[in-house]
Amino acid sequence: MKAIARRWGSIAAVLVAWELAVVSGAVDPTFLPAVHTIAAALWELATAGEVWTNLLVSTYRAVVGLVIGSACGVAVGLMMATSRAANGFFGPLVAMTYSLPKASLVPLFILWFGIGDTTNMLTVFLATLLPVVVSTYHGVKAVPQVLVWSAQAMGTSRGEILRRILIPASLLSILTGMRIALGFSWVLTISAEMIASKTGIGKLIFLYGESGAYAHMFAGILAIVAVAYTADRAMIWLMHAALRWHDAAPAVGEH
Amino acid sequence: MSQIRVERLTKHYESREGRVLALTDVDLVVGEGEFTAIVGPSGCGKSTLLYILGGFLRADAGIVEVGGRAVSAPGVDRGVVFQEYALFPWLTVAENIAYGLSTTGTPKADRAAVVERFVRMIGLEGFENRYPRELSGGMKQRVAIARTLAYDPQILLLDEPLGALDAQTRETMQDELLRIWESTRKTVVMVTHDVNEAVYLAQRVLVMSRRPGRMVEEFRVQVDRRQGREAVMLSDEFNRIRNQVWLTVRRQVGATR
Repeated sequence: MKAIARRWGSIAAVLVAWELAVVSGAVDPTFLPAVHTIAAALWELATAGEVWTNLLVSTYRAVVGLVIGSACGVAVGLMMATSRAANGFFGPLVAMTYSLPKASLVPLFILWFGIGDTTNMLTVFLATLLPVVVSTYHGVKAVPQVLVWSAQAMGTSRGEILRRILIPASLLSILTGMRIALGFSWVLTISAEMIASKTGIGKLIFLYGESGAYAHMFAGILAIVAVAYTADRAMIWLMHAALRWHDAAPAVGEH
Repeated sequence: MSQIRVERLTKHYESREGRVLALTDVDLVVGEGEFTAIVGPSGCGKSTLLYILGGFLRADAGIVEVGGRAVSAPGVDRGVVFQEYALFPWLTVAENIAYGLSTTGTPKADRAAVVERFVRMIGLEGFENRYPRELSGGMKQRVAIARTLAYDPQILLLDEPLGALDAQTRETMQDELLRIWESTRKTVVMVTHDVNEAVYLAQRVLVMSRRPGRMVEEFRVQVDRRQGREAVMLSDEFNRIRNQVWLTVRRQVGATR
């Protein structure tokens, strides 16, 4: 009970304060709809099915972009950490593009691929790729030398060192990178959909916002927040399960 | 028959201050089944020498042979125990011990029995499925030694294997090591900074100079270790050699800088 209060207490407090501020007339509901109005709008969107189909579309884009981005990110990170040539080739590219806001490329992608899934996924792909590259690279670089040496002393071949030592030893770092990428995947999906899509929860939020239906806009935001939160919890659970052996494994109740 | 032969070995390493000479003109011969300890001031390059024997580092010049063949890479003929244990934290105790069995071709069916035998030897029954982070320092070190013994290398290279343990655990582990060596008669080269430990365990103690390291003196230790720790430690012979080794190391530490 106490744990639940600790986790949800602050959120409940904000919602109550929000509701009171609007209902009491301190804030004009035209500028900020009351919580109960948003709840009603969410109910309306959910029963009409509108929110589900759009969530499905957005989740599909986010997940495909994330999975491909993470897979490529791990591969590139491993190559950079184990090969000087690969590091020389990818290193400058990663450094140059790391802090580039990926959403700024959306107009270019629209030019190339038009409006729709490809543009959205490509944006997510780029945004998730880099944090995974960087965290994989640093994770592998931080593997203690003695672990590699003792594996070699016990007859582990060069190729096997990667699979049996470097990947498990840097798993916390790799998965942490993926968790950050997971967060980016929602941000970029929503942003890209606002500019370059006819469907998706981002487009829904954008349309309702533009037409002044702010309660419905908030309902859309709430829906995507719920999905993103659930996905993050699932990621934490996965990390916990995969890293039971690790000193610094995240506990299931952690943030 | 000599199993390890090192002649005129030289090794540099790069540091921020430039090229540093770590080892110079090192000669070392270790016979089969012999327990040799190397002591010396910290930074004298004794661990570097061990890493070269292990095949992890390459000598700049000189001969390094194990079993008559030049050392060019790590090999399963040489088992290494590192100071920081170097257990694989993502593997359980049993999986760590089984690791070397999987790479050296022990059939899967036989691995469980070998693991069980070594778990019993190090007294960790009931801990087979624990991860290293759940073990004390002494337990980790026992697992590290068992992991290396399990795939049966002819040579053991021990890099301050007990350096991180408290005094009591350390003594227990020394006796354990002695018992293992007496029952297996493997060739052992142990690097330590503990003079007592070196003289108590080894048949031969080599003292290295301060950096750049080279061998300065050799002591043969002829005490009957079967009489037990107390008798050995209190014997005149043990103390005589211990004092000599200690003085030799001390002179190296204090040698002109």
